[in-house]
Parts: sequence; C-alpha cells; structure tokens
Amino acid sequence: MSDAAANSLRPATPNRQSRLSRAGLRLGILSFAHLHAEGYQALLRQMPGVELVGFSDEDKEQGERFARQCGIRWFSKHQDLLKEGLDGVIVCSENARHLELVQMAAEAGCHILCEKPVEATLDAALAMRKITELHAVRFMTAFPMRFAPSARAVQGMIRSGQLGRIYGVNGVNHSEIPKAHRAWFADKKLAGGGAVMDHTVHLADLLRWYFQAEVEEVYAEVDNLFYPGEVDVDTAGLILLKMTNGVQASIDCSWSRPTWYPRWGHLKMEVVGEKGAVVMDSFSQHVTLYSRGAARNPSWVGFGPDANRAMLEEFVASIREQREPSVNFKDGLEALRVALTAYESATTHTPVKLEH
Amino acid sequence: MRVGIVGSGTMGEVHAAAWRATEAELVGVFAANTNQSKGLAEKFGCQVLGSYAELLKSVDIVDICVPTYLHKEMVLEAARSQKQVVCEKPIALSIADGREMIDACNKAGVRLFVAMVVRFFPQYRLARELVAKGQIGNLGVLRLKRVAYVPQKPLDNWYADESRSGGMLVDLMIHDFDYARWLAGPVERVYARSSRTLYPELPGDYAQAILRFKSGAMALVEGGWVYPPGVFRTAIDLSGTDGLIEWNSDEPAPVRTLMASKDGSASSVGLPTSGLSEDPYTTEIRHAYDCIVTGKPFDVAAEDGLEALRISLAARESLSTGKPVNL
Repeated sequence: MSDAAANSLRPATPNRQSRLSRAGLRLGILSFAHLHAEGYQALLRQMPGVELVGFSDEDKEQGERFARQCGIRWFSKHQDLLKEGLDGVIVCSENARHLELVQMAAEAGCHILCEKPVEATLDAALAMRKITELHAVRFMTAFPMRFAPSARAVQGMIRSGQLGRIYGVNGVNHSEIPKAHRAWFADKKLAGGGAVMDHTVHLADLLRWYFQAEVEEVYAEVDNLFYPGEVDVDTAGLILLKMTNGVQASIDCSWSRPTWYPRWGHLKMEVVGEKGAVVMDSFSQHVTLYSRGAARNPSWVGFGPDANRAMLEEFVASIREQREPSVNFKDGLEALRVALTAYESATTHTPVKLEH
Repeated sequence: MRVGIVGSGTMGEVHAAAWRATEAELVGVFAANTNQSKGLAEKFGCQVLGSYAELLKSVDIVDICVPTYLHKEMVLEAARSQKQVVCEKPIALSIADGREMIDACNKAGVRLFVAMVVRFFPQYRLARELVAKGQIGNLGVLRLKRVAYVPQKPLDNWYADESRSGGMLVDLMIHDFDYARWLAGPVERVYARSSRTLYPELPGDYAQAILRFKSGAMALVEGGWVYPPGVFRTAIDLSGTDGLIEWNSDEPAPVRTLMASKDGSASSVGLPTSGLSEDPYTTEIRHAYDCIVTGKPFDVAAEDGLEALRISLAARESLSTGKPVNL
C-alpha cells in the first residue's frame, strides 16, 4: 500500500445502526470480474430481507452486458455504488484489485465478503487487514466449501473421532483453465498466479478447518504443463504439506481437466484414518445429459446443494447480528500463505516452513 | 518346460494357477510352510519338493514367490544352476542386490523376469497405449492410487518388517512408481511423506509421493496399507495437453453381487480384482513363459524392476531426510 493511500485512511462514520433498523439489508457487488458474481446476484435477489442495490464495474461493456443479462442496476464507478449507503459489499474483482475495493468499501463503512484468494500478494493482504481494522468493518473470506454439506459431514467425522487418528488426506481441486470464462484468471498481474493461486486455498482452508490446525510445511511442484506458450501462469501444481498436528495432506490444484470435460472440474478429498476412510466428492450429485450440439457432450448437470447460498446467508447474518463471520480474514490470509509458500517451494525445490 | 514354485503364500498360489494356463509343466512346490505347500500341491496336482536344491534339479524355470529379503540368494543360486528365473517384485531390497542378481543371470545366460504385474492389468496397459498414441498429448499431471489394508500374516508378518519387505513404499508403491516411469520416463526428483513418521506405533502405513520427471511431467502417487481388511482401491488419472484418461476401481464391475449375507473374510494379502476374461497374473505368467521359450524380450525388463526400486528407495530416503531426493 502506498503512503498516499495510508494517509487517506480515516475512521468510518457510518450510521450503521440506523441502516440496520431499516426493513432490509442493502448490499452491493463491487465488480463483476469474478465469474461467481453472476451466481451471487441471483441468490441475493431471492434472499428475504436483503436488497441488492446493484453492482459496479468500470468495464463499460461488461457492466452493460450484466445489467441487461441479470436485470440489476449497474454503476460505472465503485464510489457511486458505495454512495448508496450499503450495509455490506461482495468484492468480486480480479485478485490483485481486492485491496483497492476493500479500501473503498471499508472507508464507506461497509462490511465485506471478499472472493478468494484474499489478494495476490501477502503485503496487499496485510494492508487489507489494517484498513478493515481501522474502519471497524468485518471481513469474510468467500470459502463456500465450508458451507457444503459434504465438507461439513467430513469435518464432523474427523472432529468426533469416528475415523480415529488421521493418517493423511488426499485432496483434489481440478478444473479446466478458467480463461474462457474470464481471461484475467490466467493473467499473472491480475490473478497473482495460475492454478496454484486459484485452487489451493479451498482445500488449504478445509484442512485448517477440519483439524483446527495450521499448515506448517509445504512442498510443491508447480509448472505450466498444460498451456505452454499460451498463458504466462502455472497450470499444474502438486502440493504435499504437513499440518501443525503432524497430519500430511496433498493438494492437486491443477487446471488439468480439458475444456470438453463434462463439467468445470471437481473437488474431492479422501481422509484416511485409523478406524476407516471417508471419500468426499462434493459435486458428485449430477445427472448426465447428452444434448445435441451442447458445448460439453455429455455434460454433468448438478442437483446438489449450492454452498454459495449458505455462505451468503452467513454473511448476511453476521451483519444483522453484528458479529464476526464464521470464516474471517485470518482464514483467507492463512490459505493465501499456503499458495504463496507453494510457489516458493517450487522455485527452491525444498520444503518451506510457515511461521505461526 | 518344467516349472517349480518356491513359496506357498498368496503369490505362490496365484502364480500356480497362472502356470496352469501355459504349456509349462508345474512340477512342484517348495516352501518353508509344509502344510501350506502340501495344500498347494494337492490343489494343483504337483509334488511337494523337500528343498530348494531338489527343486532346482527337477525344473527348467524357477518361480520365486518368497518374501523379498530371500530373493537375492535364491536368484543367485538359480543362475548358478542355469535355471530360467521368474521372481516376484520387488526385485530386491537394495540397488546393489538387484544389480548383482541381474548381472549373475546375464553372466549365466539365463532370463530373469521380475513380475511387475501392474503392467499386465488391461486398464493400465490400455491407458499407456493411448498415451503412447498421443491421444492426450504431452503428459502433464499423473495421479496414481493404490491403497489396501495391512497384509494379514498371523504367523510371521514379514510385510510389516521393513528389513525384510522394504516396507509399503518398496512393496506396494513400487507398482505405481514403475507405471509412472513407464508412462513419463526417467524421474528427476522425489519427495514423500508417510504416516509412519507421525504414528510409528500404529499398524497402518499411508504415504504420498510427488515425482518430477525429466520430461517436465509430475505425478502424485498415493499408497497405503491402511484400509479396513478386504478394501483395495486403485485409480489412475492421466492428464495431458490434449486430453485426459480416468479410471478407478470404485466404478461398477461387469458383475456385482448383492447378497443377503456377507462373510466378511478377506484374503491375507489384498490383490486388485478385475472381472476379466483372463486374470492379469495369468497374462503376466503366460507372457514370461512365452518370452522364455521364444527368446523374445520381456515387456518389462529386470532393469525396469531395478529402476522402480530406485524410485521407492529414493521416496523412503525422502521420508527420513524430509527433503526431496534427486535421482
């Protein structure tokens, strides 16, 4: 963060109480750069007691398109949306622009739900923490898997001791390269990295949550094996880490599914314990569709629960109840550190320890 | 040709059944456990032989299905006796021993077949052929799984004794290290973690290894003796620049039985099942026999068995140093 930005910080003077006393919570979406924004707006509009005021996006073409497509109000400047007097915002910009938008939102006194990873660099993430603390706004990291019934079941089995002592975890978060949906995911400046930056944090967060432990040591092999010459970020990553409780876990975060795979990808985890193992495939509930002329043929069309809904409900509840959200800034920060450490390990070919 | 089997455990019996599918004559079996060898001889209509020397005298091919730590002496003796050799994997417990065995067989002019059976499993073979044909482009990330239960040997569980079996990384994960190398070529770097570091007192052993190949490809190999008895799961997931190959043993078999009662019994050592017209162990033994008779090269050379062992040992070294090991 620049000195100029730091000097511009001032305590927020929001009339939060009076806003909360109104019938509904007023929310906005800052930027539609992240593809999850489309899903979020649809869920928020169905949510009782919530008013989605609109979204901001400085890309005119993108703004007009989503305004038309979703039928919600578009603001061409983030500050214009923030002037509407919002209770909370969802930051859906490119990773490397989170800090900028979080700062604007914090200065406007808005609570924040921020896409993952929380930022592209550690410095920017730490600056975000400072700003949210200074303005006394709460920060929730968008880790929807914490709200997936499958992950909750696995967490329950581990915490209750049903599996006994845990031998290890085999984790997979595969997908296709997301650049067809949003080009910036494969742009190092805007995303901070590729597959490792995109996917590591989900599984790293689940591991921290399952075991109530931190990641202690990370070893990784990272490379651009799938789109050499096409993109300038990593597309393949294998991570083997150790938690502070000694448990080993692997994370395969590769963009290794072809774009003609029946679905975007998947999230799987196998936890092997002394008394048995549990196999989780969070998106396994689907029908197989064979539709003439479809982009994916066949395609797996899911009918499982949408974890984003429960995540957004928690964000809304944390604002209403004026409490810390169940997934906070530290969760986002620690998961980001795992991804950043994976890059470091892959460069040095050595396991790297994280300080706690 | 006449064949004799040494060892009457799980592999001795599986190989005996496989030899029946060849034109070889199964002469007899020699094993330390005489009850077991009697049972095996009765089942397959062959003799119980009183000693290894006696067996070597009465056969052309010796099939060594004894615990790993006994491989070296038996192979050397077979070579001295000018017998063709089939030897269970892993070839040996050390590179030096394996080297000595291969050299002795070469010098004696006898063939040495190391039974790396995974190369004869049709799905593994098919996947490799598809990769070789360029169906998925250049290999990127390979994922290989082989997780079973702790071998059950009530009398003397030599599997659990690393000084005799090499441990899970050498006995079990060697299959996928070999397969990975068969697909992606020489390995440059290995890093591994095992649950034994955390829980040496527990019977289970669960390990994961990351391989980096000279070609640039990478692999995650998962292995374990940890599941409840009877559970054995394997999987392959091979991704490349132009496509993907997925297979896993959880997929429905061509025939599934849904019975009112289950006996809950498990064989002493888990073997993957396949529901195929021919058991892969039979395919393997038929291949070995055919190559011995015709002089054709084996699809898997003893040197491959040795190179796979090298990866296993490097992974084991990584466990103790906590660092990646360069090959």
